Amino acid sequence: MKLNIDGLLVYFPYDYIYPEQYSYMLELKRTLDAKGHGVLEMPSGTGKTISLLSLIVAYQKAYPLEVTKLVYCSRTVPEIEKVVEELRKLMDYYARQTETKNDFLALALSSRKNLCIHPEVSSLRFGKEVDGKCHSLTASYIRAQHHSNPSQPVCQFYEKFDAVGRQVPIPPGIYNLDDLKDFGRRKGWCPYFLARYAILHANIVVYSYHYLLDPKIADLVSKELAKKSVVVFDEAHNIDNVCIDSMSVNITRRTLDRCQTNVETLQNTISRIKETDAAKLREEYRRLVEGLKEANVARETDIYLSNPVLPDEILQEAVPGSIRTAEHFVGFIKRFLEYLKARLRIHHVVQESAPQFLKDIYEKVCIDRKPLRFCAERLRSLLRTLEIADIADFSPITLISHFATLVSTYSKGFTIIIEPFEDKTPTIANPVLHFSCMDPSIAIKPVFGRFQSVIITSGTLSPLDIYPRILDFRPVTMASFTMTLARTCLCPLIVGRGNDQVAMTSKFETREDFAVIRNYGNLLLEMSAIVPDGIVAFFTSYIYMENIVASWYEQGILENIQRNKLIFIETQDAAETSMALEKYQEACENGRGAILLSVARGKVSEGIDFVHHFGRAVIMFGVPYVYTQSRILKARLEYLRDQFQIRENDFLTFDAMRHAAQCVGRAIRGKTDYGLMIFADKRYARADKRGKLPRWIQEHLTDGSLNLTIDETVQLSKHFLRQMAQPFRQEDQLGLSLLTLEQLQSEDMLQKIAQIAQQA
Amino acid sequence: MRKRASVSGFTLSLGAPVMASLSEEVLLVVKRVRQRKQDGTLYLMAERIAWGPEGKDRFTVSHLYADIRCQKISPDGKAKIQLQLVLHTGESTTFHFANESTALKDRDATKELLQQLLPKFKKKANKELEEKNRMLQEDPVLFQLYKDLVVSQVISAEEFWANRLSLNSVEHSLSNNNKQDVGISAAFLADIRPQTDGCNGLRYNLTSDIIESIFRTYPTVKQKYAENVPHSMTEKEFWTRFFQSHYFHRDRINTGQQDIFSECAKQDEKGLKSMVTQGVKNPMVDLLSLEDKTLDEGYGTATAPTTSNPSNKSLRENSNSAIIKRFNHHSAMVLAAGLRKTDAPNDQASETSSTDGNSRDSDFFQPPVKKVKLQEAIEYDDLQGDSGRRTIALNLKKSDRYSHGPIPLQSQHYSSSQDIINSISIIQHEMRNYKPRLTQVMSSSAASSAITALSPGGLLMQSGGQQTINQLVPTDVQSELKHLYTAVGELLRHFWSCFPVNTPFLEEKVVKMKSNLERFQLTKLRPFQEKIQRQYLSTNLTGHLEEMLQAAYNKFQAWQTRRMMRKT
Repeated sequence: MKLNIDGLLVYFPYDYIYPEQYSYMLELKRTLDAKGHGVLEMPSGTGKTISLLSLIVAYQKAYPLEVTKLVYCSRTVPEIEKVVEELRKLMDYYARQTETKNDFLALALSSRKNLCIHPEVSSLRFGKEVDGKCHSLTASYIRAQHHSNPSQPVCQFYEKFDAVGRQVPIPPGIYNLDDLKDFGRRKGWCPYFLARYAILHANIVVYSYHYLLDPKIADLVSKELAKKSVVVFDEAHNIDNVCIDSMSVNITRRTLDRCQTNVETLQNTISRIKETDAAKLREEYRRLVEGLKEANVARETDIYLSNPVLPDEILQEAVPGSIRTAEHFVGFIKRFLEYLKARLRIHHVVQESAPQFLKDIYEKVCIDRKPLRFCAERLRSLLRTLEIADIADFSPITLISHFATLVSTYSKGFTIIIEPFEDKTPTIANPVLHFSCMDPSIAIKPVFGRFQSVIITSGTLSPLDIYPRILDFRPVTMASFTMTLARTCLCPLIVGRGNDQVAMTSKFETREDFAVIRNYGNLLLEMSAIVPDGIVAFFTSYIYMENIVASWYEQGILENIQRNKLIFIETQDAAETSMALEKYQEACENGRGAILLSVARGKVSEGIDFVHHFGRAVIMFGVPYVYTQSRILKARLEYLRDQFQIRENDFLTFDAMRHAAQCVGRAIRGKTDYGLMIFADKRYARADKRGKLPRWIQEHLTDGSLNLTIDETVQLSKHFLRQMAQPFRQEDQLGLSLLTLEQLQSEDMLQKIAQIAQQA
Repeated sequence: MRKRASVSGFTLSLGAPVMASLSEEVLLVVKRVRQRKQDGTLYLMAERIAWGPEGKDRFTVSHLYADIRCQKISPDGKAKIQLQLVLHTGESTTFHFANESTALKDRDATKELLQQLLPKFKKKANKELEEKNRMLQEDPVLFQLYKDLVVSQVISAEEFWANRLSLNSVEHSLSNNNKQDVGISAAFLADIRPQTDGCNGLRYNLTSDIIESIFRTYPTVKQKYAENVPHSMTEKEFWTRFFQSHYFHRDRINTGQQDIFSECAKQDEKGLKSMVTQGVKNPMVDLLSLEDKTLDEGYGTATAPTTSNPSNKSLRENSNSAIIKRFNHHSAMVLAAGLRKTDAPNDQASETSSTDGNSRDSDFFQPPVKKVKLQEAIEYDDLQGDSGRRTIALNLKKSDRYSHGPIPLQSQHYSSSQDIINSISIIQHEMRNYKPRLTQVMSSSAASSAITALSPGGLLMQSGGQQTINQLVPTDVQSELKHLYTAVGELLRHFWSCFPVNTPFLEEKVVKMKSNLERFQLTKLRPFQEKIQRQYLSTNLTGHLEEMLQAAYNKFQAWQTRRMMRKT
């Protein structure tokens, strides 16, 4: 249908629309008009993606000069591919309606592992190996050697792309990862570099967060994206963690040992080159004296990871004299390495700030701040000069150099924690140096600064106001949308006690309590008898799950559950878990029914949807607080309190509740879907927890269902499931939660729609 | 516990015709078994159990296994060592094992063999009974008939069922049943509840179902069984070891070297590994390729790399994760066992294609599953218009045949839809031009008299007997009459189905049927007629019934006279 969103003609590729989609588009339009940033929370399964795409594409078509590009960031590869498929649907609809040929170029970009078509390289299993092998075939000096020595292998796909690929623009269309590969195969071009080149002039780019948030990658990939772009972060409830991760470094003794070998290799290579080709080193030295920027000469294929600090922090001067010659630099690194080794030789925990660290290093080994800052740049230059082919091998020394640059660049927002052993195993020495970023706004700041509109959206962003605070930006719109429902298809219940009236909670003091574990088991057992098909249960942590499973096994609870359903359990091994997941789906599919035991914050809880019969009930055992004893977390909480005036408890609860909401939200993926959401912990009933759940879950939590026993839960669930089992037709929804164009245009419907969005 | 009988595989052939089929496989022979104070020999054969007195070559007792409901044995320690067979009919036969030295052994051997044999036949017998029961319950008319004919002993139950229940259908459903495998309960191991026997021991009750489940779920155990039983250990020993083995127990960590199941555990491990390395077919659940750009080692806040060395994990943790692994494996195996048979060839195909899909240079084959899954994931069926209701187009080769139904092919003259449309248009055309020829119509008086004659109560409508019977006869008599009709119908069906009489069996049957009919007339029809007369119901309600019977008698008479003629 064609919609009129506040004066903008929007093509929407469906015959019907959910009221909240309309409302969402209105808010989005306002944000784009204001050229500001927005935070929008809309329940999962209400067609958020297609609403976003429809509106922004319409906006781009209407105001091609205002918005030139849409950069859509999502989290996982399947997610990215889904977005592109939805986009394809939209574009097909445009083509049918306007009967013009599509002139949009939209493409997905992913790592080499997902795009490579080179038969040898693409058969490697791990992303790092693929990257390294690719580099060894495409680096500029390799290709130069190939000129003089044709037996030197190069990647023919890259050669071909390099020869012609840039002159001929890729024809307009929608390119998913597989489409890019097909196109690449047809033309004989490298899809990865084609995509990286094409994003510069594409209208829509879909890729993962890291390409924008991780400075090491963003500098390579996204540096030249136009300012007049709209950036969307979908599923952005964890965006702060992504930001922090991209700026943090851990150094173990193993890293240092491997780094040592790297240094030795470097030394040997230098001395060898010195004998054979001293001119090369002299040339590098000359370049460094003149302060030529590396980027000017470096080719896209030469750089594996770019500078870890943000572009505006990189010094635009010549490399200081003390590390200009190769030998000096290697000596410098050696000294730094020895210093770090000494620091790791400790018996108690040390926590210090970056300036303290710099002061200490100056006093101990006379290393200045300035050369440290150039470490990453200098190493890159050296690796290039030495023509190191297998760059992946040099990741330890790269890591060290990044640490050096980061620690000397940022004096605020970071902390250094050196732990001599793990908390759990105090007898085994395993020293780790954590250089930890505590301020997510550091990494995302350039994004907010550079692009005119940044939209942060997800199914679970409550409470909305915390995101602008921790990411340090001022949004023009903040809204939370509810889910209009013709039937209440979600049923959140808080189970606070067992049938024996013992309180159910994963609180630290009582979590090992026998009664609590037994009650949890009984809850699962009872539910397994009444819920059809699939049940997903989440635990607060992996260790907790292991313990509970073991004691359930001893008490014979698991055996009884097995009478009703098959049991699958997430493990710490991703491949094993994938298999368990697939079998779980198979068991749901063939009617046997299954239970998946999983972990909040785990991969399953973040990336896998349990649509329809794959998840008729989600049980959240306990409140998924993060492990609060971690020193990194404590440092971060302290920082949040000092910098943003966010109380520790508020943040912890917020963090726990967003993960709980994520977990239970996995079960509902649309209005025809239905599912039970069982919060098995009495603490959920408290206002401070409950109030942090997304609005669309909160409003279905009645006062009567705040502290139920297992029996009561079973009764309510039975009732709910019986209701949901009734046939649900489109007509039932029409006019309430599903609108035709005519219904949408009526006056009172528009008034109703205005209430859907709640401004924060 | 099963045990192969020591005399198995020995074929007995006895000349006497009483012993039914000429040669049967004899599974077990037990001498010196007394029955009714008479010494004799007990034979367990493939389909029946039989006993013959000493010195005679005929069986005085013979029961098909299918007829046996259960067996009972005298408790241990009693002086008389006996085995009782209870039949479905309620009768029972008791055998007394009299061989002093081996009585107990003999009895146990018999018991165990019977234990194995009975369930096989029981199923069939029960199935038949069930089927009959079901038919009777589903069909009240049949039930009434059964009551009228069998319960009142007009004909025997066997006769009644003989051509009613086409045994084929039972057999069919039976064989079907065999084909459709029952899945395995996930909790089958939990069902083996160990019971303490009071003196520091555990007893596990194993049924053949559970053994079957174990074998199907864990092929490695089956393999071990085949390897070891009965060469190196008895079955009992095997299962004892199984339950003692750590393989059966939770963590499976300390499987000792001499444990025969340690190999099973290893193979299971291997199986799990291969399952894992095979990867998943559905890219949407592949957690390995979920993440687009994993952080390099050393970046990020998570301290992942340290957990990789298992040495610093406590034993407890290790055993916990072993339990988890085991549950995953168990569930996968149960699931696979349920699917294995039904689509074995299918599976193979998909497996090969999956390995193709996973080897990365054959990416060409990968997309289909992925495309489908992606499309599924982005579909909103309620937002779409009607397209959600996907129908399958009817693919007709000859639409005419479809609309007219099957027509004998030799009459090539059938009207196609075009013909029908044409003729309709012709009729319409004619109707449009229709002009009544008023000169040739019936006179009005004749017309009105015809109408009165045809209206209810008119001249031509008087013999509407239905209504009068309805009103005249009380309902109980009506229903009785109905029953009589169905009963007679049934008997006559049996009777007429004997013609043409061309086998001695049918001859016998037709005579029997005739007498059945006569008996029916005597015991059922007559009392009914008398009852009607007592109630002064003038209408001859049973006239038609008698006519039918008479026709049958006439036929019988004719057949008999002809037979006599032929004989003389």
